[in-house]
Amino acid sequence: MGLENSAYSGAVPSISFVSNREAYQQEIVLVLRCPSNDDLRNLRPESCLISMLHYSTQPERVRFLRSLGVYGISLDSIKDDYGRRLIENFHAVAWNGLEAAFGVLQGTYPNPGFFSSSRQAIQITLLGAGALGAHTVKAAVHYGSIPLHERLARDNVPGVIVTAVDYDITNHADIMQGLLSRTDILIDASSRVDTTRAIIPNEWLAYLPDHTVILDLCVDPYQQNNGKNYTKGIEGIPQGNLDQYIFTPDDPIYTNIPGFVRTKHRRDVVSCYSWPGIHPRDCMRIYGQQLHPIMRMLLSRGGLNGIDPNGHFFERATGRALLSNWVE
Amino acid sequence: MSKKISIGFPIMREEPGEKRVFLPDFTRKLTEIGFEVFIEEGYGNSLNFYFDDYKNDNPLIHPLEREEIFKRDYVLILRSPHDDEFALFGKNSCLISMLHYPTHPLRQKLMENNNILAISLDSIMDDFGIRLVENMKSVAWNGLEVAYGQFEKYIPNLIREDGTTWKVLVLGTGMVGAQAMNAASKLGKNERNYEHIRLGGPGAIVTSIGRNITYHKTQMIELLAQSDIIVDATQRHDPSKPIIPNEWIANLPEPSIIVDLSVDPYTPDSNPQVVKGIEGIPHGNLDQFIFEKDDPNWEKTIPKIIPSTNRRKVISCYSWPGIHPESCMRHYGQQLLPLMRVLSKKNYHTLSPDGLYFERALFRARLDSFLKRKTDQKKI
Repeated sequence: MGLENSAYSGAVPSISFVSNREAYQQEIVLVLRCPSNDDLRNLRPESCLISMLHYSTQPERVRFLRSLGVYGISLDSIKDDYGRRLIENFHAVAWNGLEAAFGVLQGTYPNPGFFSSSRQAIQITLLGAGALGAHTVKAAVHYGSIPLHERLARDNVPGVIVTAVDYDITNHADIMQGLLSRTDILIDASSRVDTTRAIIPNEWLAYLPDHTVILDLCVDPYQQNNGKNYTKGIEGIPQGNLDQYIFTPDDPIYTNIPGFVRTKHRRDVVSCYSWPGIHPRDCMRIYGQQLHPIMRMLLSRGGLNGIDPNGHFFERATGRALLSNWVE
Repeated sequence: MSKKISIGFPIMREEPGEKRVFLPDFTRKLTEIGFEVFIEEGYGNSLNFYFDDYKNDNPLIHPLEREEIFKRDYVLILRSPHDDEFALFGKNSCLISMLHYPTHPLRQKLMENNNILAISLDSIMDDFGIRLVENMKSVAWNGLEVAYGQFEKYIPNLIREDGTTWKVLVLGTGMVGAQAMNAASKLGKNERNYEHIRLGGPGAIVTSIGRNITYHKTQMIELLAQSDIIVDATQRHDPSKPIIPNEWIANLPEPSIIVDLSVDPYTPDSNPQVVKGIEGIPHGNLDQFIFEKDDPNWEKTIPKIIPSTNRRKVISCYSWPGIHPESCMRHYGQQLLPLMRVLSKKNYHTLSPDGLYFERALFRARLDSFLKRKTDQKKI
């Protein structure tokens, strides 16, 4: 992010700069994405790791952290009394993803062209109507970019129609095929209970027009574990990251997709494991602001052991995120 | 022993269908964090709670006459007191209520004139502008629950003979629009949806649109013509103009239903005037929120100058969360508790914009803070 040491010491004169290993040996270790197992081994027993630990989809990680004797607070599990995440950036996931998808669609859209006032309204099919889906609809009708939205509105170019389908309707192939055949952008913002089943099997991608862009916002991984195959919601699309998140149908990355996944039918794909990281400063400013009351509470309670799961608002929220409270 | 902060709970004097009161569990918790509670005689009766349910041997809970209630340190009432009641407030009493400053300029002026210290529940927002006291989920789910319920009366389990999917058009992509999309995709009620799925029903397809479509007549008529349910969840820049003129309603299929979640009022006398987003539909409340096309009350809430010839069944309620009053008030009580904890230590004047999380949120909701923001915006 281009920040020098002086930027930190300017903000906090008492700050100490230490090696990577020493940083992992503090009482509380705060790191956004979960570190590698090698780095995790540097944690001291009974220290506290605060990170996006994703307990539910990372059972191996949970077991490993427990074996190290460290305490954990998973940022993605800090939730209020209604289950709303307090540390999240769905806004950035949706807007950054849509901005990238519309960027690709500008190139693939057929005549009369994306910027033509005589084209049809853009048709988006959205899988998932939950919290992420809510942000996605808002971002989608604004093309993921306020300047682009203003420009197209000024030029009287028809807007965006978002059709949301709940996971269960996707069991009706005939309905889905009709929808897919007129889709310009297909978005996966679903939150599946059973990740061994795709919502859109690969053969259905054949119904999409050639110019369609597939946007992967939920970035579920392909995995094999205990004899089960876990798949993305849209079967056969690659998984991107901050180094590469745009994929053409002939991208060499397809050779890395596990063999149990069918990849015959392809379209342009936009996928990134860490969508908020596309604009890192904005992202970290938000996380910092969201974390502030949590860190204050942690300090005032003398650390993790002082948290009362039935205490005040932020204590209850953090109590729900403790590794010690996670039941597989 | 330090003096307790007093808080009064007056009864809401609204339509008879308005049954909401803060629950005994909430008032008990207030006494545990430093408040002395005064409730108006008869408070809670609408939900079959009686004074003993509140009192429960608690020495810090008392009954009081209505006029005296308004003189406590804080006065907590969900919907705003009526205009003539602002004069009853004590000099240092602070009103906490859904006051909707931006859309109620006359009430705002009245409060200013009466030197009312006010905190508006709908203006309590976090650092990202997210409301901390809200029930938008109930707005959307209750509205859609009622709408689908109308169809379910004659279409068991919402499975039509021709097996077609339900098509819902949601106008607006804000917080309420997003909840409406979710609720509509699940047939307005999870239990109903599970049964529908179990029986192999075709489910619902929800189309959401924003301003860059709603202005486009041809496109809109095409969308309207294929909708079973149309939902107004908009927040218009210009509330003096409808999004769906009355003549467009003729394009809706005959058994379709219009759901009004925005519940903007008709105020032809204000300047500028406010009209509903869908022109010519009635304005409902907790006493009546379902309007058949030939309902005798249809025109009672619509000014004569508004065209209303084209009609479909309408579901509209000014207070959607009030349809399920007890769960609504449990929800608000839970959201309010951390804020009341702050108010037990600080007051209207000592709240700071640089305080902790909940204190900052409360500061933003003061009438003074709103007026300052308004003045600052004018300067820009």
